[in-house]
Amino acid sequence: MSTLKNKYTLVSEVMMKPDDFPVLLEKALMKEALEAMGKSSLGIVCIVNEQSQLLGIITDGDIRRKLLKVQKPFSAFFVDDALIHAIRMPTTTEPTATLIEGVTLMGQKQIWDLPVIDISGTLVGLLHLHPAIRAVLGMDNEL
Amino acid sequence: MLQLVALQLNVGNKKQLLLGEKNGGGMELKILNVGYGEVGKVSIGGSLPLVFIGGPCAIESRDHAFMMAERIGEICQRLNISWIFKACYDKDCRSSPDSFHGVGIDSGLNVLAEIRKAFGVPVVSDFSDPAWGGATGEVCDMVQVPAYLCRQTSILRAAAATNRPINLKKGQFMSPWNMKNSVRKIEAFGNSQVLLTDRGTFFGYNMLINDFRNFSIMSETGYPVCFDATHSIQMPTSMGNISGGQREYIPCLVRAAAACGINALFMEVHNDPPNALSDANTVLDIRYLEQILVQAKAIHDMKRELIEKYGEDNVHVEK
Repeated sequence: MSTLKNKYTLVSEVMMKPDDFPVLLEKALMKEALEAMGKSSLGIVCIVNEQSQLLGIITDGDIRRKLLKVQKPFSAFFVDDALIHAIRMPTTTEPTATLIEGVTLMGQKQIWDLPVIDISGTLVGLLHLHPAIRAVLGMDNEL
Repeated sequence: MLQLVALQLNVGNKKQLLLGEKNGGGMELKILNVGYGEVGKVSIGGSLPLVFIGGPCAIESRDHAFMMAERIGEICQRLNISWIFKACYDKDCRSSPDSFHGVGIDSGLNVLAEIRKAFGVPVVSDFSDPAWGGATGEVCDMVQVPAYLCRQTSILRAAAATNRPINLKKGQFMSPWNMKNSVRKIEAFGNSQVLLTDRGTFFGYNMLINDFRNFSIMSETGYPVCFDATHSIQMPTSMGNISGGQREYIPCLVRAAAACGINALFMEVHNDPPNALSDANTVLDIRYLEQILVQAKAIHDMKRELIEKYGEDNVHVEK
């Protein structure tokens, strides 16, 4: 799967920084989460507390499933705290994990994004599948 | 099941350890403490006993307000119900320019201050102008935001600035879930003592209905909820230039609300409704007050017992 060149590449070298993907505070409304996701090309939003510790994530898939289960009107759904509808214990990785470990984990879990948290639970990045695969294939400077 | 957590409250001059609670979802249920200085302190929320908020709609005169406070106080004492005296000094939402508008802020607040002192009961009054917030909060133990103004930022800011507990009426035009926006505004202005009161929801023109899901939905904010029975039976401006009402439905609506789960019950009460200077078609004749309060208290107590016995409601949306 990997080239020798990228065998020791770390997640921290490839991950997106928090300014580059949607991150919201815990009191954000569902409507704000949907807007944040719409503005980015990613299908994920991370929710953190004031200390930037990761509290949960919402993905496109979570919203699709919610729409079929939540029977409340859209106006009520939109004003819910996004955290209510978030995955509270998402699969995560650490910045010191290798890229290969991160990509393998995403494959096992069938997910496209891995929030990256440090030892204190602080959200420090997001490993997105596309740049991760490009890095694995040594295509960092292409596309 | 309810989870009990220790919470220290000021009761009278003593610090008393009461039990605060979290609901099944782990959300902290906030408890309001109403009353400053030398009045009986009233705590609202969680699994505490039902609180009554009541009085004449408007301060008609000092003597009338005193008479009402005395008579309501006797009933509440007999039933062992904590209560807060409510009366307003300025009725700014009257349908007609000829209707009684109130005794005015200075005179009204003097009467409320005297009632606090004479009866040792906390008082609440609404205010319709942000400029009146400071004076209202100086005298009143709780301030009230009128339903029509419940989303006005300037009023919410003024209410928050009083640092008193706030009785926030749900506008008849508001969904229960959107009341969270008003709560968030109050919190952003530095106040986290809110009581959310339902007073009915517009059903077409000149008609209100009660959606009893509102109490559960508004409680998701963590704040206690209240049912305003006498305004719920109002038929807004149904009689040309005044509002009508169907007060015969007050008792059944009160029973339903108590069973659904409320922390406080609000009713405007008068000794002579036909001649009341405000809300004559909706105020409750005081001769019916005791029999309604005793039922509300009994149902409220029974609901608490049932939840203790069978556990908190646990029918949830499928995860």
